[in-house]
Amino acid sequence: MKMDFRLSEDWDEDFADLANVEETDLRYYVALGDVMLGRGQIDLSANWGWIPLIDFALALLEIADALSAAEGSETFEFTESEATLQFDRAGEEVTITSSYAPGEIRAPLPEFKNQVDDFARRLDKALLDKHPELELNPEYQRLRLFRS
Amino acid sequence: MRALSLGGFALVCPILFLTLVAGCGIATAAGQVAAGDAHQQVTLNRWALRHIQQRHWPDSPARGAGKFAPGITEESLREMIYEAVANGHSRQNTHGRPGEIYEYDFGRPIGTTIDGVPANRLRVVINTRGEVVTAFPF
Repeated sequence: MKMDFRLSEDWDEDFADLANVEETDLRYYVALGDVMLGRGQIDLSANWGWIPLIDFALALLEIADALSAAEGSETFEFTESEATLQFDRAGEEVTITSSYAPGEIRAPLPEFKNQVDDFARRLDKALLDKHPELELNPEYQRLRLFRS
Repeated sequence: MRALSLGGFALVCPILFLTLVAGCGIATAAGQVAAGDAHQQVTLNRWALRHIQQRHWPDSPARGAGKFAPGITEESLREMIYEAVANGHSRQNTHGRPGEIYEYDFGRPIGTTIDGVPANRLRVVINTRGEVVTAFPF
């Protein structure tokens, strides 16, 4: 299973002071990019350039926590369209489907959780490497993208 | 207070709230709340307006985002937002996102979905201060 991101280059010029942006900015307007999600021939990537990656990572962390706690279904709604990703846990397997691309990805629950944690950890590092002032942002710290 | 650098000049959002006056006196069907009442609840600031135009205007190149129909204006966007907030179904935003989502079916195409299919519905995202975050047809 592959879960990765690509940061766009054209959002940060609008935010001169990332140390003070608010939660809504962080979850809708900051750190935009693409999400790559696939396994084998199945590609559920959202290469739209505008996916708020902090929000995506936070939502998936919450989804992974929920599915780790119990079997069930969770839906991720993209911020700027009706597109969704659906996550269903049955037993120890998670199945991912989307509203915008055919196919389904199946992964063992531990692998799914590790992929989500790794996605968030790598995003946190990439953002802080490029924008160290984010570390001063109390909202960014409160959201806890990186969970040790 | 949030200060944004936008196109070379600083924006201080509270100063730049656009006055929401367009919907006064709109005729409404029986049982509906006048869209004008939503004026007191929702603000559309210049930042959010620019965001919506960049993502969802008819000529926006953004992929994977619903688009408004040609002919949309700032004024008609505000009116649709007011109507959706006044009369639409509301729910809590999802997965920890702050604020609420309003969805309203206009019963006529107002744009297109990400698949290019005519879209009758508008989704409006409002933050905890009553500010529009984004709005798009779906």
